[in-house]
Amino acid sequence: MNSRGSKTLHIFIFVIVMGTVSGIFLVGVNLWTAPLIAKNEEIKIKSAVLDVLEIPYTKPDLLNVFQEKVREIKKERVILYKGPDEAVAFEFYGPGLWGPVFGFVSINSDLKTIRTIKILHQEETPGLGARIAEAAYLNQFRNKEFLPKLLFVPQGKSSAKNEVDAITGATGSSRALERLLNETLQKNISMLQK
Amino acid sequence: MPKKIIKRSFKHTKPYKALTTGMWQDHPTFCMVLGICSMLAITNRLDNAIAMGVGVTFCTAFSSLFVSIFRNTIPSRVRMLAYMVIIATFVICVDRFLKAYFPPISEAMGPYVGLIITNCILMGRAEAYAVKNGPWLSFLDGVGCGVGYSFMLVLMAVVREIIGFGTLLGFRVMPETWTNWVVMTIAPGAFFLLGVYLWIFRTIAKKTE
Repeated sequence: MNSRGSKTLHIFIFVIVMGTVSGIFLVGVNLWTAPLIAKNEEIKIKSAVLDVLEIPYTKPDLLNVFQEKVREIKKERVILYKGPDEAVAFEFYGPGLWGPVFGFVSINSDLKTIRTIKILHQEETPGLGARIAEAAYLNQFRNKEFLPKLLFVPQGKSSAKNEVDAITGATGSSRALERLLNETLQKNISMLQK
Repeated sequence: MPKKIIKRSFKHTKPYKALTTGMWQDHPTFCMVLGICSMLAITNRLDNAIAMGVGVTFCTAFSSLFVSIFRNTIPSRVRMLAYMVIIATFVICVDRFLKAYFPPISEAMGPYVGLIITNCILMGRAEAYAVKNGPWLSFLDGVGCGVGYSFMLVLMAVVREIIGFGTLLGFRVMPETWTNWVVMTIAPGAFFLLGVYLWIFRTIAKKTE
């Protein structure tokens, strides 16, 4: 074989060997970490559900408390979590202003008012839109009626039972959250009443 | 930086030089101005900056080490590809490790852990140093650059978190009456701060030369 051919062969073998070795290595790393990552994910979701259903728990016995007190109901690909006091929690997921917003919302047993909202993931502007995830902001949703529609009004002007404050300077994020919450709540409530 | 008087013999050894050039003389941020994108993005909180610093240090050190070990086997025509594969392998390790053991930090850093792959420091050190020097020196060089970069990340994050959130590592340090500077929490604020730091460090560096 001439030198050019052997050079090409060398490159070829090198690339294949390197790809295989690093691939095998990464498969190993993945096998090792995948169960841990799946468990973290499960803990994240279950602790959020317990939080919004307001069931007290401590970190070590989180999974036991969840199993004892929460019933999972699967309906049309949506999982509804029912607490011991008939409150219902479910997730909401959709676009915010800059990126996806993901969280959990719980409604009281009368199926008319919101209990708690918790946002697990958002990518809004820090200090402005990102405030939608702060407890101080989300507390105002407590006992608000979401039927026929939850309304976001300019900051400080909310008075009616279905009105909450929007965030000044974060109109886009507020609107996105308003639409997302209304859509999810309406869809899931009609499913619950069936 | 200390003056060169302590021990001439030790200070002039190659390993010492390899380790410290990245920390001061060829500092990745204010000398080479590499890795700026991720610096602007993740330095809004100190814990993110520390995690990112550790991740980058680990990746530069080990990718330099492996590039250096295989430097005579890597065909020069596909060396860039080889660097990328080696770097990507270590970055994926860091990403999985954070996801498995530090989920909150992994969450906060979002895609930027994976984007260490595109951090020019790693590629730069592989091409400029590791491919020409032995494994041990390359490893030290990688550690040095990583530490230098982390140091800068921490400096940025301390100022940004205190001014932007009024906290440090999540603890309140500013009085309750403090108004948060929102601009410091977003990338443009970081850009200004980085400019100020570059100015300060370059002025100092000029004096020590």
